[in-house]
Amino acid sequence: MKKIPILYLNSILIASIQTELTDEEVLSFQSELLKKNNKLMAKGVIIDVSTLDVIDSYMAKVLGDLTTMVKLQGSAFLLCGVKPAVSSTLVDMGMMLTKIDTFLSLEKAFNFLTSNDRKFQ
Amino acid sequence: MTRLMTAITIKKEWHIAKARGETKKLMMSVGCSATCLTEVVTCVSELAYNLFFHALEGGVIEMSIVEPDGMVGIKVASYDKGPGIKSVTDALEDGFSTNGGLGGGLPGVKRLMDNFQISTSETGTSITCFKRCV
Repeated sequence: MKKIPILYLNSILIASIQTELTDEEVLSFQSELLKKNNKLMAKGVIIDVSTLDVIDSYMAKVLGDLTTMVKLQGSAFLLCGVKPAVSSTLVDMGMMLTKIDTFLSLEKAFNFLTSNDRKFQ
Repeated sequence: MTRLMTAITIKKEWHIAKARGETKKLMMSVGCSATCLTEVVTCVSELAYNLFFHALEGGVIEMSIVEPDGMVGIKVASYDKGPGIKSVTDALEDGFSTNGGLGGGLPGVKRLMDNFQISTSETGTSITCFKRCV
């Protein structure tokens, strides 16, 4: 089973999903992320998908569920690095992911969370 | 004219990833754009998930590069042995799901591909779609 490393920097949890995940991997990643967030009381969680070639309806559901869970805990959830082809395919598929705050790069997402005068989108 | 054919049996969850990988390889051999590649791989992924989650004994995904009238395209077909889709109209509606998913799989595939045909009965479902590679 693949394990996704979850890094902690400046009160922010960062993880990069680089390949498609199985059901089992998703559940283990989800529970580890929520536990870490609870323990470390992160300002926010950033998920990087810049090396992910395909986001299908299953992955879209996983990301949507994660957003809701992390937000329920009281932290921000940011997604970054959605590839051009992936973004157009998602819209064509009818999966807008509008409830997720997205950024072009990990740097932009990180700066957004660490800047003092951040306003929520 | 048909060339390059691949058939992948979907029974276990990791077969879905395998199907995606094979599709990517096939599409890259044709030399299409990144958008076209992503769209076709996403479609195959959706069809493979459906086989894994809904079909009794899984199913088979067949892919072939076809060249009708000088253009290049990919034909994707998905076959299973039942239990069949109760209502095709519902299954093709955005947001309809019987397994807690987003319910965008089949309608998404229909929109992404140029041509989409589905036939279903209790003994099996077959879906055939085609997309021109650009």
